[in-house]
Amino acid sequence: MQLLAQVSSETDLYVAQNIFFAVIAGTMIYAAFRVVTTANVVHAALWLVVVLAGVAVQFLFLGAEFVAVTQVLVYIGAVIVLFLFGVMLTRASMGDDETVAGEKRAMAAIVGVLLFAVMAVALVDSFEDTRVDIDGPQGVVEVSDAIFSQYIVPFEAVSVLLLAALIGAIVVARKD
Amino acid sequence: MLALLAQEVDFVRPAIDWHAVAPELTLLAFGALVTVMDIVWLERGRRLTSSVASIALLVTMIPIVTLALDGEDRVMFGGAFVVDNYALVMKAMFLVAGYVVVLLSTNYVAEGDYWESEYYGLLLSSILGMVLMASARDLITVFVALELLSIPAYMLATWRKRDLKSNEAGLKYYLMGVFASAIMLYGMSLLYGGAGSTLLADINEAVSVDGSPSAIVVVGVIFVIIGFAFKVSAFPFHTWAPDTYEGAPTPVTAFLSVASKAAGFVALLNLLFVGFFGRDDVYEPLIWILAAASMTVGNLVALRQTNLVRMLAYSGVAQAGYMLAPLAVASDVGDAALTATVTYLLVYAAMNLGAFAIVLAVARKTRSAEIDSFKGLFGYAPGLTIAMSVFLFSLAGIPPLGGWWAKFRVMEAVIEAESASGVVLGVFVAVNSVIALYYYARIGLGMWAEDAPNGDTTPIRVPASLVSALAITAALTIAFGVYPPLVSEFDVTLLAGGLGG
Repeated sequence: MQLLAQVSSETDLYVAQNIFFAVIAGTMIYAAFRVVTTANVVHAALWLVVVLAGVAVQFLFLGAEFVAVTQVLVYIGAVIVLFLFGVMLTRASMGDDETVAGEKRAMAAIVGVLLFAVMAVALVDSFEDTRVDIDGPQGVVEVSDAIFSQYIVPFEAVSVLLLAALIGAIVVARKD
Repeated sequence: MLALLAQEVDFVRPAIDWHAVAPELTLLAFGALVTVMDIVWLERGRRLTSSVASIALLVTMIPIVTLALDGEDRVMFGGAFVVDNYALVMKAMFLVAGYVVVLLSTNYVAEGDYWESEYYGLLLSSILGMVLMASARDLITVFVALELLSIPAYMLATWRKRDLKSNEAGLKYYLMGVFASAIMLYGMSLLYGGAGSTLLADINEAVSVDGSPSAIVVVGVIFVIIGFAFKVSAFPFHTWAPDTYEGAPTPVTAFLSVASKAAGFVALLNLLFVGFFGRDDVYEPLIWILAAASMTVGNLVALRQTNLVRMLAYSGVAQAGYMLAPLAVASDVGDAALTATVTYLLVYAAMNLGAFAIVLAVARKTRSAEIDSFKGLFGYAPGLTIAMSVFLFSLAGIPPLGGWWAKFRVMEAVIEAESASGVVLGVFVAVNSVIALYYYARIGLGMWAEDAPNGDTTPIRVPASLVSALAITAALTIAFGVYPPLVSEFDVTLLAGGLGG
């Protein structure tokens, strides 16, 4: 990981890394399209796994192993499993369902394209070809040090938040 | 593994100023107590929870007072957590507003058998988030505080589980809320990408210099402000408010329309005055449009409402517009804009909570919040009628009530800017105040001059907790207007404390 992260040194270009980046990015874009175009809700959720796994791999390339692991645990491990449970427990159709896409498709496409245009212009205009200074990868050690010093207050607040959410969810979901 | 551990002993324990976090810790301890009481004592504990919750909020005022007497600005974690006069004033406001909400809830929740101890536990954790927000000067702290105050509120909005309208209220609030959070979080990540730090002060430095990554800063600032526009229910991001306010239990509606909205404003003030102050070219036009549109649309739609809670929701949209107005000229008038918005927030909290207290009291008899059910109120509940008139005329901005002073400060700030945009905004405020007077006065007229529907004039029995809530809010509403130095005193300390900008 150390080796991969030293992208910021001016002279050398990591050809292999760039090729991998392009391959994974291309896969992610294809998978993202399939998420919104497939007529099957379960397939959409599984395509989303591909997108999120791609994000995790990109984080690994940048040497951010903590974020990569969190990405896998939280998104693929929890969120997608929740999606699938949601599909199974509700009356949503498990097979192909042409009504999934619906008539809002054109509207969604317009919004998506516009947002993409704004973000693309903003990001290209802001960074152009400047190399982003990465002062070493943010490993698990650095992240945990930051959580328990600089960010100790929000960290404690999150634990209150989780407990409150748990209690509230039980009350709301419970039969009485 | 052990070698790795041994090598990383350079962890520095953070220096924590325990006095500065004492209000948060006190609230946290009482919140835990409420939860544990329910587990240990079951039904016996349940009856005490509302008392414990109100004691919690009063006890938390003690460290606020000692910190205020101490008078020293306390800064922790390199500026991520700041306790200054501004933060203390806002914290005190959240605690008093929370106390009034507990008073409003006491009978409502107990009589409806609505999961009392969980209700107060969630209410306290939401207030904890607000108190934390007043001190947050860091993107992550702001975001976590926002979620801590919002997520319990989503669930409180759907607390009348067996009522479909309440379910709708909670679901709409939740979906719109998380959507806004997502937009805001994306904006925050862009700002972090541009500045390389989560501290608002660092972000201000990074975005203010010439040649800073301009485009992502613009997009980031806009996304963050839009996220908070949802929270403060400014037009066009107000669509959740009327349905949520109508369906949620009335004490929760009061809580949302006052405390939750104020917390959104506090976050916005922190971000604008500490984080983006150098980029007035980005935020001022956006806030200008939000303010002018919120005032106008909120008031025009409020004219046509037949339900008092929905009317208060739209009037809340308009009031958010008045509160945003000084921020649209923040770079010209500086601290005067901050003071005007804070003054408006304090006065708004008192008068709006009071109006909801009346809605609750009258609904105990009529079981309805339709405006028609308030007709002829003077005939059988003269005390409530007088109090309601005070709150309505204060909301309209009639002297000598608090709302007048608040509106005066807003006008003063936008005119003081001496710019065309400021003057136009002042005209918007003036015209809208006249429109608003019409629908506030219409309710007043119905209460005083018309006959009660179906001639039912049995008096209303108002429980003691509602009476004290009414007394507190009415006293504050009148005191703010009759004796403006009560809020002006805060101005001075605010100026002295000053924010980063």
